Amino acid sequence: MTRFHSLILLIVGVACITVAGPERALAERMVADLSDHTIEITSQFSGTELLIFGAIERAIPQGDGGHGVAIEGMDYDVIVVVQSERHDMVIRRKGMAGPIWVNKNARTVKDIPGYYALTSTRPLEHILPEPILKGYQLGLDRLNVSFEQELSEREGEAYRAGFVRNMKAKDLYIEQEGLISLLDEILFRAVLHFPANMPVGDYKVDIYLARGGEILLHEKAPLEVGKTGLERVIYNFAHSHPAYYGIVAILVALFAGWFSGFVSRKMSV
Amino acid sequence: MQIYLPIAEISINIFVLLAMGGGVGFLSGMFGVGGGFLMTPLLMFVGVPPAVAVATEANQITAASVSGAVAHGRRGGIDYKMGAVLIAGGAVGSYFGSMLFTVLKATGQVDLMISLAYVVFLGSIGGMMFVESVRAILRNRRGEKPRPGRRQRTWVDALPFKMRFRASKMYVSVLMPLAIGGLVGVLAAIMGVGGGFIMVPAMIYLLNMPINVVIGTSLFQITFVTASVTFLHSVNTQTVDVVLALILLIGAVIGAQIGARVGLKLKGEQLRILLALLVLVVCAKMAYDLAVKPDELYSVFPVEVVH
Repeated sequence: MTRFHSLILLIVGVACITVAGPERALAERMVADLSDHTIEITSQFSGTELLIFGAIERAIPQGDGGHGVAIEGMDYDVIVVVQSERHDMVIRRKGMAGPIWVNKNARTVKDIPGYYALTSTRPLEHILPEPILKGYQLGLDRLNVSFEQELSEREGEAYRAGFVRNMKAKDLYIEQEGLISLLDEILFRAVLHFPANMPVGDYKVDIYLARGGEILLHEKAPLEVGKTGLERVIYNFAHSHPAYYGIVAILVALFAGWFSGFVSRKMSV
Repeated sequence: MQIYLPIAEISINIFVLLAMGGGVGFLSGMFGVGGGFLMTPLLMFVGVPPAVAVATEANQITAASVSGAVAHGRRGGIDYKMGAVLIAGGAVGSYFGSMLFTVLKATGQVDLMISLAYVVFLGSIGGMMFVESVRAILRNRRGEKPRPGRRQRTWVDALPFKMRFRASKMYVSVLMPLAIGGLVGVLAAIMGVGGGFIMVPAMIYLLNMPINVVIGTSLFQITFVTASVTFLHSVNTQTVDVVLALILLIGAVIGAQIGARVGLKLKGEQLRILLALLVLVVCAKMAYDLAVKPDELYSVFPVEVVH
């Protein structure tokens, strides 16, 4: 915790020293960073957490020539969005075939993140008007889900809702409104959870500073997610060298089987 | 303690897996069956994707049958020539089974095929075992003895391509063992079972093999055919989870020891009725899951990458 605090102090310090351009004299500034820029999903199985923190330099109303005390401007909001690379995914829908339920239809969603987490200081609708939220695709309800196939609006909505439910159930889509804490209206911190089954690759972190129904600032940070540990090694091996993996699986089974037979003979004697 | 299974891609309590391995091992030790047809549905019930359950179970059965095969081999309980013919059939069967599996997985229908195959096989085998053991008990009550009798000549003897099997003291057509091996290979590939529950009766009743080489030869065949299935599924669908297979094996080894001891104290017919009921319960559960409306109609998959 002390390390975190000193880091914040450093950031605030740097933020204060940096001289803003003349046209930005009245504007806010924001500095943000992540606790890690690379996440290694190890065999901790429960996934991991990422801390996103930063500081806001307030724009103090300058009506009295810059010597006034901030009266307004205490209503900043921060929105943090973390998303993985976009890929296509298949959604299957079950239907009745005679007496049983089977996968009947399949639709392909184009370019959709495999992980999407949003967190904010307050409910999104209280922070920004709907058109802006839509424009920035903020929130699961506004995420752009487009299908490869032609779908009627009703069908598209149903597939979309089914898709989001699935991703939420796997903890891959997360929406935590109101969970960013804003300390003294200057320091903010957000904690996001990453499940063990999260996709690997390059992630995008977007941090928005909003006030009075507008986005004031938009900061970006890179994030890379890789999995390590024995589990990852096994997964990679199975997918990159499937034939060798098969042979190793057989040899492991033969040895384990022989060994267990040996042990049980000793046990039963 | 949660453990992350790398291929199944789920996090599951290791003690649940050990208990499952132990429970099925106990039953297989008690009843003298392989247990694949119980373990695969059980894995599906706890959330392992069906395709991974099937492929992993094939891998586990390789481990579970090898030491039995070696032990029978030492005692001369394997007809290697017959085993080779059964394996040849099994290799072809497992190849086609695995092809079918791969195609269905890409089209999203593999889970359905696995469930349907289980409902059909468990239903018919459980039903037959149940009827047969009830009859046997009734016969015992009436004090009748099953007539041994000379074996009848059947249509099996009329098939061509006869071959001599010295260890079994038989002269039969290779077509029948090839077909049996092939069927077992298909079942191993699409259901994750060893297939002993089909092969052993088929060897006894269709081939009239001597009992003393039946179990050993079938274990010998199962070891090779499930190894072949493991390899094919690894290459085609990457669904073999070695970690899961090993954990199940540990549980199964311990369970089988206890099961074998308990089994000695129970009567054969009672055991068979119990096993038949168990098989029917698993079958009913799978049929119910197919028929009842699922909570979530939609499911999401990554786009299949063609290797």
